[in-house]
Amino acid sequence: MTEFNWTAAELQKIVDENRLVLFMKGTPEQPQCGFSSRAAMVFQQLEQPFVSVNILSDPRAIPSVCEWSDWPTMPQCFVDGELIGGSDIALDMYESGELQQMIDEKPQEG
Amino acid sequence: MTELIARGLKSDRFSPTFMPTAEWMVDEVKKVYPDAEVEVMDTTGTGDHWFVKVVDSSFEGMRLIQRQKPIISHFKPHIATNYVHALDLKCWTPEQAKEKEGDTPFSPHEARRSGFVGLQVKRENKEE
Repeated sequence: MTEFNWTAAELQKIVDENRLVLFMKGTPEQPQCGFSSRAAMVFQQLEQPFVSVNILSDPRAIPSVCEWSDWPTMPQCFVDGELIGGSDIALDMYESGELQQMIDEKPQEG
Repeated sequence: MTELIARGLKSDRFSPTFMPTAEWMVDEVKKVYPDAEVEVMDTTGTGDHWFVKVVDSSFEGMRLIQRQKPIISHFKPHIATNYVHALDLKCWTPEQAKEKEGDTPFSPHEARRSGFVGLQVKRENKEE
């Protein structure tokens, strides 16, 4: 397994290669924070697989991710390479249908 | 950044002396959006998890993250020291706020204890 160093290039690669990415405390199965749990719950409602990154797995993760994304809090939800916000925004966008719409509008290529 | 986080972790974040008050939270949000209607709630009773509702007609046509960004930037130093640990931030237009009226603010710790991990629930309407 190659080493992951939480560089901007490595983080960018994750969000470029996956339509839905969730940086969270813990995992969707074992979330370590109520807000991360809520974000994972929202993503699980969508008809699109998502990738989750446990930012508690490495002490370098939180400062690296926050600096790269220019957002100081966790969780962070990415759709098609773009930060949409934390769990508060993800929930609002799910409830309004906007989130599913974003996924439907831009079907995965290849 | 790393240094600030390390310092934040060392601070005694459960000491009430160092906790923000509701008044302080409202004032800080008002520095960013002076005309907004601001409502805050300490969702855990520990002064560090805040539900913050900001209602402003100027949000019309703005994406949710754009609405939050100035507030998040303003709070960034306080988040870095962990003075403010968590913000559940809802930036709504007056119209959206009306639609969401009656929603129960999400309590992250209650959610963990009860195993309820998800979405906000509507309060039952009182019988008239």
